[in-house]
This record gives sequence, structure tokens and C-alpha cells, in this order.
Amino acid sequence: MKVLHSWLQDYVGPALPDAAAVAELLTFHAFEIDSVTTVADDAVLDVDVLPNRAADALSHRGIARELGTILSAPLVYDPLREQIAVTKTDRVTVDIADAAACPRFTAAVITGVTVQESPEWLQERLRVVGQRPINNLVDATNYVMYALGQPLHVYDADKFPAAHHTWQFSIRYARPDETIELLAEGEHGTDRTVTLTGTELIIAEGSSDTPIGLAGVKGGRFAEVHAGTKNIIIEAAHFDPVLIRQTARRLGIVTDASKRFENAPSRELPLYAQREIGQLILEIAGGEQGGVVDAYPNSIAATPVMVTLEKVNSRLGLSLTATEVQALCKRLGATVEESAADQFLVTAPWERTDLVIEEDYIEEVGRLHGLSNIQAVLPEVVPLREINKRQYYSDRMRTALVQAGFSEVITTTFQKKGDIQLQNALASDKRYVRQTLQKNITAVLDANSVHTDLLGLPAVRVFEIGTVFKRSETGITEHLSLALGARTKGNGYSPKDDALLSEGCAAIQTALGVELPWEGAAGTAELNVSAVLPELPTPQAYEPLPEMPTVTYAPISPYPAVARDIALFVTGNETPEEVQAVLRATAGELCVRQTLFDTFSKEGRTSYAFRLVFLSHVKTLTDSEVNTIMERVYTGAAERGWEVR
Amino acid sequence: METPLGHQHPLSRMISEINNIFSSLGFVFAEGPEAETEYYNFDRLNVPADHPSRDMQDTFWFRGKDVPEPTVLRTHTSPVQARYMDAHEPPLRIIAPGKVFRNEATDATHEAQFYQVEGLYIDKGVHLGHLKGTLEYFFSKFFSGKTEVRFRPSYFPFTEPSVEVDMKLLEGNSKLVGKWIEVMGAGMVHPKVLTDAGIDANTFSGFAFGVGIDRLGFMKYGVEDIRDYYSGDLRFINQF
Repeated sequence: MKVLHSWLQDYVGPALPDAAAVAELLTFHAFEIDSVTTVADDAVLDVDVLPNRAADALSHRGIARELGTILSAPLVYDPLREQIAVTKTDRVTVDIADAAACPRFTAAVITGVTVQESPEWLQERLRVVGQRPINNLVDATNYVMYALGQPLHVYDADKFPAAHHTWQFSIRYARPDETIELLAEGEHGTDRTVTLTGTELIIAEGSSDTPIGLAGVKGGRFAEVHAGTKNIIIEAAHFDPVLIRQTARRLGIVTDASKRFENAPSRELPLYAQREIGQLILEIAGGEQGGVVDAYPNSIAATPVMVTLEKVNSRLGLSLTATEVQALCKRLGATVEESAADQFLVTAPWERTDLVIEEDYIEEVGRLHGLSNIQAVLPEVVPLREINKRQYYSDRMRTALVQAGFSEVITTTFQKKGDIQLQNALASDKRYVRQTLQKNITAVLDANSVHTDLLGLPAVRVFEIGTVFKRSETGITEHLSLALGARTKGNGYSPKDDALLSEGCAAIQTALGVELPWEGAAGTAELNVSAVLPELPTPQAYEPLPEMPTVTYAPISPYPAVARDIALFVTGNETPEEVQAVLRATAGELCVRQTLFDTFSKEGRTSYAFRLVFLSHVKTLTDSEVNTIMERVYTGAAERGWEVR
Repeated sequence: METPLGHQHPLSRMISEINNIFSSLGFVFAEGPEAETEYYNFDRLNVPADHPSRDMQDTFWFRGKDVPEPTVLRTHTSPVQARYMDAHEPPLRIIAPGKVFRNEATDATHEAQFYQVEGLYIDKGVHLGHLKGTLEYFFSKFFSGKTEVRFRPSYFPFTEPSVEVDMKLLEGNSKLVGKWIEVMGAGMVHPKVLTDAGIDANTFSGFAFGVGIDRLGFMKYGVEDIRDYYSGDLRFINQF
């Protein structure tokens, strides 16, 4: 959520440090800061409010209170601690069908307002938090939501039927196939009509039973304010979070309001928001307060939580005193009552609906005291109770296969086609899960067989150890599978591949020491490892890890490699390594590989044949560029007396 | 041409290394299914249906007609915690490395499938300091250099308190030396997660952490694109 430094200042006052310091404090005591930017002479902090704090901290007052707590500085203005003096009205009636779905519904009447543009300061604040200014009434509802976290809605009171000189609200479930006309979403949206299923909670105009709003999600077209609006009713309510969430998700209308409601802000909040918006509207739209109706059939009292000093310290690894823990709880605004030695009954301030168990307070104490005070302690070492058979034998198979020249791949679980379909895959090539590894292994062989020169490999040999799925009568089952693949030619399977494959299978046979039921298909072989594991002896200890050299990965060039062969007679008894070094030096940096592929001796002379592979990371190399380099290589060889064949 | 040695995949190689480090502290390598029930993937981790915390992980679901109870491709390795706690009495120490899935668009830093390792330590008197100590030990071994760890406040439904973990390598030649890097989420196991597994949350406490192994590879080897791990491209794998 975007938060303005100057707006925070309204609440925190002179104790508020500069934006960088605010960001630092929030980062280490409360929330991550995604960015800090400057707009005009103000700073905007993008605060990543944690999901459990969406109820109280998706608002400027909430962030300000958090800073007040961290700084141990009381707010200079706290709209949630103001005295509420409500003038009741009997001109508004509220009928709530289900108090669990709508625990509270308040409506305030203001008469004689003038619709116009909001003052510039208010428009500017809305723009900075990402909200387009519309008119002073709508802006006021948005402003108070960003200020206090309570979503609000404003109705044109004169659009209601003038029945009995009362405004009648009915909060009920929708009827199946009932329709509602909703207001546009955002700047480019258009109004839309939604057909309801009957599970949604709606606000209806009571005398005509017409739906006028989708409760907690979106206002309706029915009583939309317009340029000529004179009299208004402002709604501030509390709805069941699960219900709001289900409705918003199912209809695909996730709004700033629904996001706040689904996180269960306090049921006490609506009247404080009414007070705030009432004052604001009088200031920017004129008019007169016409009283408030407060239907609150379902209130909940904050439950005190027992916090024990021993548990606080034993979970955090700290040695705080009772006085310190009490002081930290009080800084939160909680009331603390000592119930026994080193035990306190703590009651959260009403807006902190997230504080419900002792561990919640332990977290608060930890972060306010400072997580940096927690000292690292290594747990006492205990003997290993169990060797994981699957991991043990997987590593054993890996070692055997790597020795036999096979490289390990890990491929996608998702397939374009198959028998086991997912309910909700995003992409069409991720619709199914794999039932074998062989298909992926074949694709890997195809893709790599064109790179054998660059890789310096006579053939591509790969394997994968991974989970595959099967459909059975009892549901979806899965097992660990091993697949091997080999490819000697660039243009697909050839019978020669099977010989390489057998070497891999033999290596596994040796590593596991049992007969194995391989399943094969052109150039690949697959084994159900899970089925074999029970036959294998229980390992007593993990084998030592093979040597792990330090690797710094270099990105793959997107350009093709070019290969050239050179065969030469050396003058004396130069080793292949010496020849290779010369070739590398004369060919330069673009020559990324020199592979010896043939050696023979004739009449006392030795011939070496090397394949040189050229690759650029910035372009496709042309024939003539490579020819120029090869000329240099020939010259270099000739200078050493080597005869290029 | 002689047959050169093959190469182990960096992810499985890191898992072997992680296991090597944690087994030296007595952490058992535990495992669970990739096709996981909603019950273990969410409910048992204090992530109830229709709760906003479900939004933290976009989920692949199996079709209702294929499975006897709602089943997902596990979105994290955390369900292994609950499964292991069901089958074992505390004290217990486990790591659970494995493949996890998120239903989201892919780019250089996001994949619909990636690897995580879960850690769990439950005993009498386990506290956040033990988490810090264990992670400093792990990172120092894994990155071959003394490493410092710091915590920032965070939220996960299955831990309370929850922390975000940053690490800083204090020595060595890596370009990471001297920089704070955000690496993982962790915290003290939520009492509900313990209680649901039949463990007395007053007697026992524990820490849990979950870290992306792919991301550890970014730091350890300088890998820049997560998709390279799953490309099957030997030009990538044979560098390891």
C-alpha cells in the first residue's frame, strides 16, 4: 500500500523521522518496504502490509500507529481514540436478515451538500495513493478508507422512494437469478449487470426490495451520486470476511473494499469512520449532519490473553524482565493486568483483531524489542536417527551414472498431453502431469544432440530421477522413476544408441545389486525405483559426498557454434595436451573447445586430429570469420614444424 | 573419443550437500508426495479454506473426479512437517527437500515448478535463537564462508512468530560477500500446527523454515535464470 509521509505526519506529528528512517524502522520492526519515492516535496512509501495486519494496517492511521508504537511516541491525532457522539435518527431503518453475515451496519444522513471537485490537497493525496479523484463525495469515502481502513459507500438519498419519509435498508442474501447493476470499476471500466446465484449478500432498498449494492464488494447504480446530488446517506458496515471473499472471487470483482473486508477489520471501526467522513464532508461539500443509525446486532468483546514471561523468553530466546514485557505490550496500546507472578492478562486495542493467542503477543514483543537482539545458538548435535533410503540410493545411482558418462537432467512435470489433467492450469502446455519420464528424456536428447561438438561429447547420455504420476482406482498415485537416454547421432534414434544405454543400465545394476525390470523404448530406458527400493538393503550411513569443485556458471550463448577439424603430424613426441595448448592459444577466445578425436602413428610420426569449436556470445560467427582464425591456427602449427594434413 | 564423465544436476547436487550438512546435526531427510491433499497442503498448516492466506500461493488442483479428496500439486514442502509429526513423536529434526508447484506465469525468477527444502526442529525449549544458530551453521557450510543471519518480521499462517531471514557472507571470494540477501521465510511452529498433530504446544516448541533451492543456486553458482534448471540443456548442466 502506498503511504504518504505527510499524511503519516498528521497522526504521528513532529516525532515522525524522515522517510528513509521510517522505511528502516518499519523494515526491522513491522513491514517490508517495496520502494520509497519522492512526489513533489513529499515522500511515498510502498509498504508491504503483512496479510495478518490487513485488518488494521491497510491505512495511514494504521501505519502511523505502528510507527508510534515502534518509536514509543503517542499519536498527536488518533481518529480511533476520539470520542464518538452520535446523534441518532429514526429516518433510516436497517433490516439485517443474518447477523452473522452482517454483524454491523451504520448509515449517516447528511443533507444539503454541494457536489464539486475536491480541494487540491485531497485530490493530490488520492492520486498519490493510486486513486482517481471523482467528486468531493466519492473522494471523501475513498480518502477515509485510505486514512482509517474502513470501506465506505455514499448513496444519493433522493434516489430512494419517499415512502413514509424514511430510508429503508435491507441487508439480505440475493435470490437466485436476481440481477444487480454495479458501478464501473476503475478509470476505464464500465457499469455492468451481474446475475447473482443466491449466496451473495446484498444491500437492498427496503420498500421496493431492489438490490442497490453488492455488500462489501461494489456499490450499485441505483443510488449513485451525481452532480446534482443534495442529500446523501453514507454506509459504514462490517460483513463476514469469508462471504465477501467468496463473492468477490467468484464474480471476479476484487476491490479495495473487498480486500479490506475479507481481512476482518474491527467491528468497532464503522462509527469512527462515520465521524471522520462526516467532518470531512461538511468541510469539503457543506451540508448538515442528519443523524446516524447504528444497527449492531452482533458485537464481540476483546478477549484477554494470558501471557507468561517464561513462555515469551523461552520462545524468543531472550531474557526479558516482566517489566519490559509489560511495557512492550502497553506500547501496542494493549491493557495489561498482572494476574500472578510473571503472568499477565493482556487485552489488545480493539482495532488489533489479529492478536488472539499468546504467540501473537510473543511475536509483538520480539519485533518491538528488536529481532536483532536474538542471539544465535546452535542446537546440541544428536545422532542421525534414520537414513533416507530413497535419497541414499538416488545418490548412489547418480554417482554410478555420472561415472558412466551420463549427465543428470531435471525436466518439467507438466505435459501438453496426457491422461491426468489438472483442473486449472494457466498455460495450455501445462495442462497434464507426466506419467513417465521417457517423453521428456527423448525431447532432451533431441535438443542436445545438435550441441555435441560444443559439449565435446561423442554422444548425448542423460538421466533423470523424478516423480511420475499414475491414475488408479483409488485416485492419483505417484512413484519415483529413473530414466536413461542415449543418442549417438544428430538426426534421431539409431540402434547404436542401445549399446550406450546398456552401459548405463549395467552401471545401475551394479550400483543396486539386484535384477531390474527396465522398460525401454527407442533410445530410452525407464525403471520404477519405488518398486525396487523395498528389495534393497537398509543403508547404515550416507556415503561421503563426491568432490564438489567451485563452479561459477556462465550464461549460455544464444548463437550457434561452428566446428572445424584440424589434423596434423607433430615433429617429435609432443603430447596431445601440448598441441591443444598451442591450438587454443593461436585460435583465441572464440575457440571454446578443442577436442581430440583421433590419434595415429605412421612411420614414426604421430598425427592428432582435433575438433575446434567456435562460439561468440554477441553474434553469429560467419564462415569467413572462422576461416581467418583457422588461417592463424595453420600458420601457428607450421611455425612449430607441424604438418597440417 | 573417450567417454567423459557425466555431470550431476546442480539442484540434486545442492540437495545432497544440504542433506550432508543437516544430517551432521541430526536432521533426518523426510519426504512426502508431490500430489498432496488439500488437508495436508493447507488445512494442517493453519491455512483454512476461504481465508486470505490462501492467496499467498497460487495452486494447481487435480480434477475432482480423479481423486477421492481435494488434491493439489503441493505448493510447498511444508506438508511434510505435518505428515512427519503424525508419524513420529518429538523430539524431532527433519529436512524435507523436494519439488513444489505454483500456478503462475514463468520468467527468469519464477517457475511453475521449483525446489524447496523444509526444515523442522521440535523439542522442549526450542527458540528463535536456535533457528538463527542453525541457519548460520548451514549457510556457513553451504557457502563455504562465515555467514551472519538476521531476522525481519514476517507472516506465515503456520508459524508464530514468523520471520524473514536475510544472510550475509562475511568472507570468501564470492561477489555476495558483505551484502545482506533475503533468503527465506521461517518462524516458530504455530501452536495450532503442533496441536493438530497431537503435540502438546505448551511442552514442546519448534522452529520451521522453507527455502528455495533454486534461489540458493543463484547465490552459490551465479545462475541467473530459474528456467535453465529445467531446460535439460547440457550446455547448462555440464558446467557443474
